[in-house]
Amino acid sequence: MSDPTRLRLTLNGHPLDVVCPPERILLDLLREDLNLTGTKRGCDLGTCGCCTVLVDRRPVLSCLTLALLAGGREVTTIEGVTPASGLSPLQKAFVDLGATQCGFCTPGFIMTAGALLRENPHPSRGEIASAVAGNLCRCTGYSKILDAIEAASRVA
Amino acid sequence: MHLDPFELHRPESVDETLELARRYAGSFDYLAGGTDLLPNYKMHLNLRPHLIALEDVGELRGHSLDRIGAMTRLADLERDPEFLRSYPAIAEAVREVATPLVRASGTLGGNLFLETRCFFFNQSYFWRQSLGFCMKADGDQCHVVPQKEKCYATFSGDLAPALMVLDAEAEIRGPGGARRVPIGELYDGAGDGIRRTRLAPGELLVAVHLPASARRRRSTYRKLRVRPSFDFPELGVAAAGRWEGDRLEELSLAAGGLETYPRRFDALTSPLLGAPLTDTKIEEVASKLRGLVRPVHNTFLAPDYRKKMAGVFTRRALAGIRPGATA
Repeated sequence: MSDPTRLRLTLNGHPLDVVCPPERILLDLLREDLNLTGTKRGCDLGTCGCCTVLVDRRPVLSCLTLALLAGGREVTTIEGVTPASGLSPLQKAFVDLGATQCGFCTPGFIMTAGALLRENPHPSRGEIASAVAGNLCRCTGYSKILDAIEAASRVA
Repeated sequence: MHLDPFELHRPESVDETLELARRYAGSFDYLAGGTDLLPNYKMHLNLRPHLIALEDVGELRGHSLDRIGAMTRLADLERDPEFLRSYPAIAEAVREVATPLVRASGTLGGNLFLETRCFFFNQSYFWRQSLGFCMKADGDQCHVVPQKEKCYATFSGDLAPALMVLDAEAEIRGPGGARRVPIGELYDGAGDGIRRTRLAPGELLVAVHLPASARRRRSTYRKLRVRPSFDFPELGVAAAGRWEGDRLEELSLAAGGLETYPRRFDALTSPLLGAPLTDTKIEEVASKLRGLVRPVHNTFLAPDYRKKMAGVFTRRALAGIRPGATA
């Protein structure tokens, strides 16, 4: 029988093969073991959406996911959607339109919004607001975030 | 917050799951979507040394109009327009569960078996310790209704009332074989409030079945919560009915978020059959339901307010399923 603590997955396009205890949460694996600190720890209870990553291209709360249960899947973090040469159109829209202030919630919003735009390239403002309803921002009041996602949808 | 160590089991079939449940009887939790269990584990609420993850059990997955596998993600139901159109009460309930991110992981079975909630229970270990704990975790007293017999934590699942008014049935597998029970019978209204389900040890919810008659009913689910995203219900009322002309042929009403278990109010609705559902009759039912429910002070809103709103939401739900009603 294979080692039940052996975790193999694809992380940001690269194969990952590590030993991982069952109680390890995906968020902790990313931040503490792999030093991918772009994914933020906010509430740690699934309320705020700061820890959102993509698992098989769908947004998931990494703070409520056991790392071992992501085995065999494709995990994408904020580091994986940021081009080496600069920023993605969505990230650029956040910067240009002032959708980020302290920036702590931004990676989560980018992951959720990116997944929305891939599935629905031209969402209405209402559809955008519904899609990001699980991501909290304490600074911007959300208008600028919705503006930025709308702007990025026009670029796409 | 890190989790305390546990042993993780990953069965791939219902039989294998039941065997693990037998082997670790009394010392395991099932892990479905994890959106309720893992926050509770992070707060050191009733930890068990074994987790049986249901993720890989194929028999629990998938849904059709007739059957929803217990491990079906709420987001998968939300993405099925035909399913949503067929069962408006389920559609409204699913869309109001927490946030899209929680629904991406959260499952039908998990929602039906949510841990009951209380202001004095859903807190950190340190917070609870400062009050000497409570009978639902680590202690022996109740801070809401001081006594040592019964826990008053609130059942906060949204799907149960919606499924109950549609006469849905739970398919259960266990050491004694398979059985089916109405959703309402999954819950124990008479017990101590802590063990709130009637599943026998080792039993597992496999799926929920919806009868064809459910698709002929007009139905709705109305939820009261503080923030329109994320919050658990302060109350949720579901209603379903079938008319012949303006004559009521079938009517069912259920409420959750108010007590330790969701319940149906057949005694209130059966006298209404065979006649039109008038405003006066709706008002009477709403007033009676308000008198029957017993919320306690363990959620954000005051019990008196929730009681009053139970009447208001019942009135809205019943008016909302009359032929010609728009909302």
